[in-house]
Amino acid sequence: MDWTWFHKWGSPKWFYELSGKWLPWLVGAMVTCLLIGVTWALLFVPQDYQQGLTNRIFYVHVPVASISLAFFPLMAMAGTIFLVWRMKLADVVVKVAAPLGAWFTALALASGSIWGVDTWGTWWVWDGRLTSLLLQFFLLLGVVSLRTALEDSEGAARACALLSIVGCINVVVIKYSVDWWNTLHQASTNFTLATDQANGPEIWVPLIFMIVAVYLFFAISLILSTRNEILQREKRAQWVMDLVAKS
Amino acid sequence: MQFSNFQEFIEMGGYAFNVWSVYGMFLIFLTINLYGPLRKNRQIIRELKRRYSLNAQVPPMSAGAGSQSSPGSETTEEERA
Repeated sequence: MDWTWFHKWGSPKWFYELSGKWLPWLVGAMVTCLLIGVTWALLFVPQDYQQGLTNRIFYVHVPVASISLAFFPLMAMAGTIFLVWRMKLADVVVKVAAPLGAWFTALALASGSIWGVDTWGTWWVWDGRLTSLLLQFFLLLGVVSLRTALEDSEGAARACALLSIVGCINVVVIKYSVDWWNTLHQASTNFTLATDQANGPEIWVPLIFMIVAVYLFFAISLILSTRNEILQREKRAQWVMDLVAKS
Repeated sequence: MQFSNFQEFIEMGGYAFNVWSVYGMFLIFLTINLYGPLRKNRQIIRELKRRYSLNAQVPPMSAGAGSQSSPGSETTEEERA
């Protein structure tokens, strides 16, 4: 099997150049999806028969909350690649993903809370889903502070990779919390293609646009931070010197 | 379209606070996590430019790192700062 692609991906220079070419396309696609999604969600989605217009919060809360669950698996995967194959770029991903994941989790918690205050009648309850997501927030802050606390960068990288792998257990808990403990947070909704159902396409098509937009945003923000980290780590390399001289 | 006029749109059926604060936070979240890294990129490039020009002024320091001479130790001290 040809492994050159793997080594190419491990090359910071190669990643920097390629991602520079992708970024304008990703940003264009994100802005398009975001404009369509937000306009559709705010103006055209029909009211919920019980929740009224608070159902607009759904279109921010669900994409952000579901993508927040992708961080630990992503960091665990990158961490494993770093631990096994010593790929430095993988450690960069572990490092820059943690604070972004904390932002995602915080917004998921806050938007859910503001949604709940009128639909549930409370800002917060120690429900399985809410508590496990709060735990994810603190775990991500833990990964961020572990990196700054350990002076030895190699040791910090290994510790963060390990914590990322362990943190995946909590993702499973978050995912199934709504089925295991039937307290307050609703279970996942099944969306159907049929138009006569309560949750027909007029509800989920704008959601698809928002999910794609937030996924693209996630990728763009992660790529931008990865590029910054690469520049700092590779500052002695000739290609960074050339790049800085040109800019 | 669920609204007949702009006023109705702003009021959001009595849920103006909930809906607009969530969308406001979403906007802040997007801005911070896109503008932040972009601004940091400019800072890094500015800082590296300064560092490289500083190194270029010291004649014995070549582009290749790892020398044990005094300009080399200067670089590490600058790094710590």
